[in-house]
Amino acid sequence: MREFTEKELAEYNGRNGRPAYVGYKGKVYDVSHSFLWRHGTHQVIHNAGLDLTDALQKAPHNDEVLKKFPVVGILVSFRKGKQHLPH
Amino acid sequence: MGRVAREMVEKAGINVDQLVELLVKNAAAELTTYYYYTILRCNLIGLEGEGIKEIAETARIEDRNHFEALVPRIYELGGQLPGDMKVFNDMSACPPASLPKDPRDVTAILKVLVEAERCAVRGYTYICNLTAGKDHRTYDLSQAILNEEIEHESWFSEFLGEGPSGHFLRRGETSPFVSKFLR
Repeated sequence: MREFTEKELAEYNGRNGRPAYVGYKGKVYDVSHSFLWRHGTHQVIHNAGLDLTDALQKAPHNDEVLKKFPVVGILVSFRKGKQHLPH
Repeated sequence: MGRVAREMVEKAGINVDQLVELLVKNAAAELTTYYYYTILRCNLIGLEGEGIKEIAETARIEDRNHFEALVPRIYELGGQLPGDMKVFNDMSACPPASLPKDPRDVTAILKVLVEAERCAVRGYTYICNLTAGKDHRTYDLSQAILNEEIEHESWFSEFLGEGPSGHFLRRGETSPFVSKFLR
């Protein structure tokens, strides 16, 4: 499976025809086909191309919503031990 | 626009342009849902469908009320609705509540209805979280809408066999929580 640095992930921001990928707990999900991620933006404030592990802790939904999206890679930063503590 | 009203929200640390965009997207979701629910309600027929028609109608009318209630706040904060209805439709915060392929499948219609309500519940919870203690008026409005969306979800969920809603249907009047914003 492809490994993404944060810089590489940032290229997949869903804008200008690019796919929209988001990071969560070390995995990279392809949300390009989600209605709620059109143009690489979700709920106005959240952008694709980023690790959203912290943001998802505060979201009004759990991480089950990600199950329907394909995993396209892993985040290198997470593998190296930059893990996110629960809030 | 309420200049000072907007300033107060900005001073509280909220990005007002983002908040307005969020409100416009949710207003679009309400109006498009009102449209799609009209079609769903028309197709709730027969022995199974007829019993659900009433709550679908109540949810439909209340979603339209939510649109009506959101609009003044959008303009107070310096925002506006798009001039083009097609642009407005495409901005919707929730996916279209389209009629299932088999319009006689009442369970499939119920699933569309409950998913639409769940999207709304998440959306208004998000706005409440964003505005709590910072933008009292938008919070009050979003919380009122949230109360009604939660009830809609529980009605449809009950019919899907997910457990009792715990309350009765509306008794005559609609929008018990949002009506204060419609006067």
